[in-house]
Amino acid sequence: MAGVDTALNLRELRERLLSCPVECLFHHFCETVIRPTFDDPEFRNDFAVWAARDLQDRVLAERLGIINPYDYTDLEELRQLAVEVIDDRLSEVPYIPWVKMGNDFRFMRAVTVVFDTGLKLDSPDDFVTALSDLSLGSIYYHYVEARRRTDNHTDDFTAWLSEFGKTSEGLIEALAGIDFYFISLKDLRTQLVRATAPFRKETILG
Amino acid sequence: MDRQLDAYEPVVGASAISQLRQLAGDLKGARVVHVNSTKEGGGVAEILDWLIPLMNELGLETSWEVVKGEAPFYNVTKSFHNALQGNKVPLTRAMLDTYEATLAENALRLRPILEEADFVFIHDPQPAGLFDLCPNRKGIWVWRCHIDASHPQRKFWVYLKSLVSKYDASIFSMPEFAQSLPHPQFIIAPSIDPLSDKNCPLEDAEVLTTLYKLGIPTDLPILTQVSRFDYFKDPLGVIEAHKLVADSVGARLVLAGGGASDDPEGAAVLEEVREAANGDESVHILELPPDAHRTINALQRASALVIQKSTREGFGLTVTEALWKGKPVIGGNVGGIRQQVHNHHTGYLVNTPQGAALRIQEMLRDPARAGEMGRQGKKFVTENFLLNRHLREYLTLMLGIRRGLTNHLIAH
Repeated sequence: MAGVDTALNLRELRERLLSCPVECLFHHFCETVIRPTFDDPEFRNDFAVWAARDLQDRVLAERLGIINPYDYTDLEELRQLAVEVIDDRLSEVPYIPWVKMGNDFRFMRAVTVVFDTGLKLDSPDDFVTALSDLSLGSIYYHYVEARRRTDNHTDDFTAWLSEFGKTSEGLIEALAGIDFYFISLKDLRTQLVRATAPFRKETILG
Repeated sequence: MDRQLDAYEPVVGASAISQLRQLAGDLKGARVVHVNSTKEGGGVAEILDWLIPLMNELGLETSWEVVKGEAPFYNVTKSFHNALQGNKVPLTRAMLDTYEATLAENALRLRPILEEADFVFIHDPQPAGLFDLCPNRKGIWVWRCHIDASHPQRKFWVYLKSLVSKYDASIFSMPEFAQSLPHPQFIIAPSIDPLSDKNCPLEDAEVLTTLYKLGIPTDLPILTQVSRFDYFKDPLGVIEAHKLVADSVGARLVLAGGGASDDPEGAAVLEEVREAANGDESVHILELPPDAHRTINALQRASALVIQKSTREGFGLTVTEALWKGKPVIGGNVGGIRQQVHNHHTGYLVNTPQGAALRIQEMLRDPARAGEMGRQGKKFVTENFLLNRHLREYLTLMLGIRRGLTNHLIAH
């Protein structure tokens, strides 16, 4: 838990959003996809999910749901945008949307634990072959979360491939073409495999 | 328990075991003490039964201590338990005196080991007061709350908060249970040991023999609820649900209750349950000893579906056990059951005996659908509620606190 009071209504959510640590913003905007669920949630961040499921405000959910946190290199910009969306909504509704006790929004932050999987790749060919067997955790850490972790906001795969010079340019371009935020990690792995398939050795050799 | 980590590799995978070894690397030699109020009966004791030896195998010097008391102490701590779950129970100065005096006696015995430990995990309210009684603490003290503390009785919470606020951190099973406390709060869901007597695979012959010995015929589908005889487990509501479906689908109901040595209320509830069953031969009320793990395993495996119709529930390990055995679960729409039972996927959440009856009928009439839910439930537990994930989160917490809480923790 993040040590921030819970929010029982939209105004409280706004106040907490303004003051919560940026780690909370990251967790609730970016880590929704790694939580186990049976539903494929229609929204990819926790604020939008809460607005839809608990506040029952689908207008707000859609406006929050379209926000792609990876469009913002500074999480403070993201905070301002989210607050603005909520301010807009508060100016429209006839009463403050609220939830019953127990359904309040709970601010959390997470610790990412990084393990050595023992898997080592030596070449772009290895990379293309290994992709379909990578765990969803590895995909998230190296392809998604890396954009927040690294100074140049790029994913680990691209950073590593660029060390191979011209030979991996096509692969890098293929990775860059994937719109990763609005899909599940399973779908993301499928898209990565599909996008890099033309670069598999057997494909090239015909 | 004498199983070693490698024994779990076929179930959880080599990488899961490797993760534990990597995380434990920097914690080797740390002295860890867990304290609760019973070594037998109940989910906490079952968790500590595997957690202690596995932590030791990973190189942490881990021990398990129990606070002991006389009947009045357990009566008071049962009231604490009920109050934390929101029941209106009287809380008098005399009760607090009994509690504090018993803990003071325990502290005389436990102080040396607790004050020297690097990490102390105090489980639930019963031993919570030990913190103040160990003034020369050297290590990190964590209060681990296993109970649904989402709506505690206010007067009791004020008292308990005065005890647990001083800890370095606390752990709750779900975000919904967390309270306003002035220290870091972690969310760690419980788990089961897939190789324990309660959860290991059983031959069909053993399952049938168990039913025979218990006098349970196999002529009708079996519905089972396994839990202490406790009002919060709503055994009376389960009997009512069974009565509602008895004429339409026909089923045998097994209410199997193990006693926990720190639960003085069980006998009274059991008596009420017997009265409610009123001699119905299709209702089997079993009072099992705390070590009847294989019997419970067999009962769960013999069941067409498992019920856990609690009205409050910290987590509901019996739900986890049933899902692990591929059984769909009809569970009360409360606490940790909501984290495990997902409507139409692993079973159904219900709020009333009527709701339970409706879902019992539905699943008994469509065994193929029930079987599919059971398969999904087993996969869900495998991925989320086995001991490797639980142990990994304990190690993460210890390492995180020791290194300072950051966004990333590199295991090596």
